[in-house]
Amino acid sequence: MVRVIKMENKRIIFHVDVNNAFLSWDAAYRIQHGSTIDLRDIPSIVGGNQATRHGIVLAKSIPTKKFNIITGESIWQAKQKCPNLVVVPPNYHLYMQCSSALIKILEEYSDKLQIYSIDECFIDFTKMRQLLGDPLTVANQLKSRIKKELGFTVNIGISSNKLLAKMAGELKKPDLVHTLYPEEIKNKMWILPVEDLFMVGRATTLKLHKLGIYTIGQLAQTDIELLKYTFKKSGIILWNYSNGIENSFIENKKLTNIKSISNSTTMHFDVEDKETAFKVLLSLVETVAMRLRHSGYYCRIISVLIKTSDLHSYSHQKKLVAPLNCTNAIYDILKKLFIDTWKGEPIRLLGIKVSDLTENEFYQFSLFEKSLEKQLKIDSTIDSIRMKYGSKSIFRSCFVWSGLSPLEGGVSEEFTVMSSIL
Amino acid sequence: MKVLMKPIKMIALFEKNGLLTPIRYQFINESKENITICIDKVITKAEEKIAGNHMYIYKCKSIINKIEKIYELKYELNSCKWYLYKI
Repeated sequence: MVRVIKMENKRIIFHVDVNNAFLSWDAAYRIQHGSTIDLRDIPSIVGGNQATRHGIVLAKSIPTKKFNIITGESIWQAKQKCPNLVVVPPNYHLYMQCSSALIKILEEYSDKLQIYSIDECFIDFTKMRQLLGDPLTVANQLKSRIKKELGFTVNIGISSNKLLAKMAGELKKPDLVHTLYPEEIKNKMWILPVEDLFMVGRATTLKLHKLGIYTIGQLAQTDIELLKYTFKKSGIILWNYSNGIENSFIENKKLTNIKSISNSTTMHFDVEDKETAFKVLLSLVETVAMRLRHSGYYCRIISVLIKTSDLHSYSHQKKLVAPLNCTNAIYDILKKLFIDTWKGEPIRLLGIKVSDLTENEFYQFSLFEKSLEKQLKIDSTIDSIRMKYGSKSIFRSCFVWSGLSPLEGGVSEEFTVMSSIL
Repeated sequence: MKVLMKPIKMIALFEKNGLLTPIRYQFINESKENITICIDKVITKAEEKIAGNHMYIYKCKSIINKIEKIYELKYELNSCKWYLYKI
């Protein structure tokens, strides 16, 4: 056991995190295309659509801090705080491209790499040390190389486990390398406010404050029994994390398994008739079904979510006998679900979700349902046209002059923005 | 040099080994006239992958209105578009 712990202590983990990812990526791309303004130097955000003022703040530049703009608030709120704010729409295709380019470079530094989210990666540098040398020097070289080759900056955190490496990466931004080895915890991590610790969210912070715990150091020195009593099992995790104890391995898994695919849209008008609602559902299912097919899954549960104009929401779902991935078939079920559940009030938001996903090899043909062979052929043709010529290169005629977008949402299934599991 | 990033029409040579050399291009100036320019010399060629987007940058020399000018062209691999980048 002692030997195992010794081995553990020798581990060297890098946490690579892109600074203001979406915004930096957009800024770099714009500069490459001749823009003289760097979005990172002016108050700017990524999110929604500037013309319709629809959507939320997904990412923000450092100068927006002065205006107290918060990630997640609506665009018009942000605009009120800063009238000169530059809003750029998100470009998920570009983000995937930037993320892949980053991973390609990181793969040169170690074969043990875990893609934690679209803009974060863990690298196990333990064995590469003998080949490439001092971790701090390599990290600095890597950081400069990414900046030079890809045009955006990253923070690199170095430590002996994933938690500490991640905490190190968050220390001071942007464009810096930090170390946070166990012996440095006291000076570098314990002085931080408790809400800066990984896994401590808004609710936990409040509870900790009530216990008189304001810094990570105070949390680390708290009696574990008290934390267990207040937070149950997660109390132990909190105590461990505050003491820098975390032993999970770098999972060489490229992507996290998806459990469900969902899509929803807030309409710029209240939907009051069935036909319009059906069109909105169709626009949502077009994207969801395409993502489902693209990831090679079939769904067994389909659900619909309705939020009314007085912000009351309810949902309805159905479990299928035969798994599906065909746009029209999913749409038919959604229509039925919608009719069953809608009480006739004005609708502000419509959402759909497909879950209980299975892979192709378990596909069960049904004796009692009509064959979807032809439909699936059309689906795959439409998918390939859209992949080649853009998502709106081909769409259903019912959307012409309808004022509705033929496809809603665009985030691909490979798009992990955040995760709470290390 | 000033950044222009203007899309241009281009005649280029694709060698058997994949090498790409720009030969002659056309762009519309401020008075909406078509201007054709022959590239006299490609001085340097560089590759960049800013934001994961691959582009070739050619530093070229041409005689424009009897004045020898040095400028940069960009070729975007993803979209197969040519740009007059800097002049």
